[in-house]
Amino acid sequence: MKALQIVKYGEIVESLAFNEISKPTVQANDVLIEIKAAAINPIDNSIILGNLQRMIPIPFPSTIAYDVSGIVVEKGEEVSDFQIGDLVYSRVPQEQMGTLAEYVAVTSAAVSKKPGNISFEEAASIPLAGLTALQTLEYAGIKENDKVLIHAGSGGVGSFAIQYAKAKGAYVYTTTSTANVNWVKELGADRVIDYKTEDYKTIVKDADIVFDTLGGNYSSEAFEVIKQGGKVVSIVGPLDEEIAKMFGMADYKLPEALAQLCSAKEASYKFIFMHPNGAHLNLIKTLIEDETIKPIIDKVYSFSESIEACIHLASGRAKGKIVIKIN
Amino acid sequence: MEELIKKIKGSIPLSLEAEEYLIAISREKVFPKGSILIRQGQSVDKVYFVKSGCVRSYCIDKNGKEHTLQFAIKSWWISDYIAIHNNESATLNVECLKESCIIEFNAKTLDGVLTLFPEYEPFQRNILERHIVSLYKRILNQLQLTASESYDLFLKQYPDIEQYTRNYHIASYLGITQESLSRIRVEKAKK
Repeated sequence: MKALQIVKYGEIVESLAFNEISKPTVQANDVLIEIKAAAINPIDNSIILGNLQRMIPIPFPSTIAYDVSGIVVEKGEEVSDFQIGDLVYSRVPQEQMGTLAEYVAVTSAAVSKKPGNISFEEAASIPLAGLTALQTLEYAGIKENDKVLIHAGSGGVGSFAIQYAKAKGAYVYTTTSTANVNWVKELGADRVIDYKTEDYKTIVKDADIVFDTLGGNYSSEAFEVIKQGGKVVSIVGPLDEEIAKMFGMADYKLPEALAQLCSAKEASYKFIFMHPNGAHLNLIKTLIEDETIKPIIDKVYSFSESIEACIHLASGRAKGKIVIKIN
Repeated sequence: MEELIKKIKGSIPLSLEAEEYLIAISREKVFPKGSILIRQGQSVDKVYFVKSGCVRSYCIDKNGKEHTLQFAIKSWWISDYIAIHNNESATLNVECLKESCIIEFNAKTLDGVLTLFPEYEPFQRNILERHIVSLYKRILNQLQLTASESYDLFLKQYPDIEQYTRNYHIASYLGITQESLSRIRVEKAKK
């Protein structure tokens, strides 16, 4: 089968190649998915650049990408909750990475039936960003009337997080650039802050939760807008000690400055590492079928245009998700 | 099965032999919510009489989206008749939207009843005619009625169905978007 593989770390064009490889075989708990659509995420770009080689070492060559939708065409003997012919979607686990291909074998625990009211392309756009948003906001204990700041509301995670937070009854602030203000507002955000003309730090006060999707200064600035005892949850900022330990960095300490900010505000800081979860995807399926959440797609590329799609992703300018139609 | 026999006897005289035969070839079964009776792409040899519950038939287009063709509630028949008639694999999926008590028949065996007991034929013909009428009405309604009128009619035809269907099941049955359906509901609530 045809697959887009990473052959070395570095620039996209030199690091990726289309290769003919053998179809994956299923283990007892796996389903084999004939891929209809896949989606790429910022993590794919970080992997290609080699930025994550310490946390996630990749053997070369490896097929890239995690998001998939398609049809179950084979299953292992232990799989009872899926049948051949089921239409499914998944964020595949790290050890099964490789959805820019014609087939992928995935442990059934990471798979869910896909929402019935959306296309394969739309379904492929959901898993990684949707699970990240859901797991982050749930970790922060989001509830009705919470004031939540979600950075980069036009991104894949941000656009999903806004809709999920609104579904939970929260008051949502979000930041985005001028060109995106209107459509981000349509997602339901209560206060869309145009970061080109406004300073979010003067607008957001006493937030219960800050969802940091940007890292850098934004992780520490979060403590300027968080309420006493609030929660800062980040998917790109510094690791926290628990997560660092999970990745084998036993001596890691949260940066001193951040630790001080936490204690000054009696607030918490947590780095969220999304984990694949079929049950969570099933929950998202219901929200999508009820149109509580809508998939936001920037562009659909054909399989042969996958490298261009990765270049588009790396530009950081995508509004919503970048999807690749496989078959 | 008693109910179905009563229904048959209400419309045609049925001999004891025919009654016993129908009972012998039928199988009554309770299917939990979510059960798939017919799966697209697989072979089909059964027709289903819904004793209670709610069953939906739908197709999946090449983009992976579902389109509802029929809802079957109490006393409706459902199957993939295209597959049975043309001896092809299923183009439809048939699923239980809630726990449903179903009487299933092998399609060929049920056809055999007509040869063995010709008195059964008017009943069978009546089912077919009702199906045709229902399909004609569905096409005409699509051509003539506004989305709001179609929805009204739908609720009359399937009272209480909204308790166990999802919005997109109904929207796709009516051929409208989920947003339009929500809008219609909001307008109705205002009245």
